[in-house]
Amino acid sequence: MSQSYDRGLIEDFGRWREFTAGMWAWVFHKFTGWVLIGYLFTHIAVLSTSLQGAETFNSTIQGLESLALVRLLEVGLLAVAVFHILNGVRLLFVDLGVGLESQDKSFYASLVLTGVIVVASVPTFVSGAF
Amino acid sequence: MAERYSSFRSGSTAWLLQRITAAFLVVVLAFHFFNLHFVTHAANIEFAGSQARMQNVGYFVTMVLFLVTATFHGVNGIYNALVNQGIEGNAKRAAQVVLGVAGLLLVVQGIRVAIALAGF
Repeated sequence: MSQSYDRGLIEDFGRWREFTAGMWAWVFHKFTGWVLIGYLFTHIAVLSTSLQGAETFNSTIQGLESLALVRLLEVGLLAVAVFHILNGVRLLFVDLGVGLESQDKSFYASLVLTGVIVVASVPTFVSGAF
Repeated sequence: MAERYSSFRSGSTAWLLQRITAAFLVVVLAFHFFNLHFVTHAANIEFAGSQARMQNVGYFVTMVLFLVTATFHGVNGIYNALVNQGIEGNAKRAAQVVLGVAGLLLVVQGIRVAIALAGF
């Protein structure tokens, strides 16, 4: 059995100044999870235009993609998804007992890698929108 | 030594399924983003191209599995976050029913979309 320590309730967000790296990872993973499931419902709603036929589907997708705001939101979605994936891999390893002692470093690595992937993807995501 | 901290009751079926779906979603979500933003740009997506992709049985099955696993992972994640916030009794039961029904409707509608796109 591992020893435990009292780090207080993470749900008490008023204590955010005292949060450690692992607690921030927990908060970010929850936040990105809420965004992703919210987006999944929106995504299926938009794709449901395919039930009205090809013309409606095409005009909906092209109409949305012509909006600069939608392109920027897509960059945000990429950031959220990449962090959730990378931190998710980190969590799977920790659950398997691998890397528990360096979980703070792997959280920072997830953040940095997310930043690099998102910045490198911006040109592809916004091309033709501005 | 740090203690494991998780929203999930370790050892439960939901705990295991959350991790199995996670392992699948890590790969498929990354593929989905890469395929529909870098291989085909989102702005160039058209019904005909989507239909060509969805008519490949392997792709169709992967996308339906993607829908089912993502819905389970998301809905179960929200439920566990709510339980973690301390909901009990009727609120817990209401969360189970609302999230269960919402998840089921999402999967049904998503499969209707998949069938429409594939033209089956």
